[in-house]
Amino acid sequence: MFCRSHAVQLHRDRSKFDAAGVRLAVIGQGTPAHAQHFRETQEVDLPMYVDEARDSYKAAGTKIATGAELIGPRMVAKGASVGRRDGVHQGRIIGHAAQLGGVMVVRPGNEIVYVHLADDAGDNPPNEEVLEAAKAASKA
Amino acid sequence: MTPLFGASLRRQEARPPEDASGLAELVVKDLDGNDVRLGSLWEDQPAVLVWLRHYG
Repeated sequence: MFCRSHAVQLHRDRSKFDAAGVRLAVIGQGTPAHAQHFRETQEVDLPMYVDEARDSYKAAGTKIATGAELIGPRMVAKGASVGRRDGVHQGRIIGHAAQLGGVMVVRPGNEIVYVHLADDAGDNPPNEEVLEAAKAASKA
Repeated sequence: MTPLFGASLRRQEARPPEDASGLAELVVKDLDGNDVRLGSLWEDQPAVLVWLRHYG
């Protein structure tokens, strides 16, 4: 559910990322067909890529969640709130179910100027925070 | 015993790299199945990379 919500939020702010002068890239597990299905069912127009082997997740330093970080009481409550806000619900999980995600802003020269790696399944940074980092990266 | 959903038995810490050189040469696929070198995404402009948990 949280990944659907995150994608919907990114889609809604797509023009802001474009205006900030950055290239947005969404990476997920699974196959191109899985990503295409997700794109169509969630009605999100985003540049999407797939990493079936999860090599980039590992290189980015993302976590594998514990059970509590996936489905603990805090996650259930947060999921209900996000579901109401974005009109999304939990779908079939593709790939490693305990894999967590993250966000990075990278400048030419491999410079990481912002990073937020999820601490639990619902830990996605607000787009406003990422956009600030993106704007600063474009100006630098 | 295998943990539910392949979850970690111990709490992990996220460990971001110092720079993106280890990411740059990795290859992902676009929706058409074409290989894309990750580093090509930030060669000429900053990139915001978002790893979703999954496409589901």
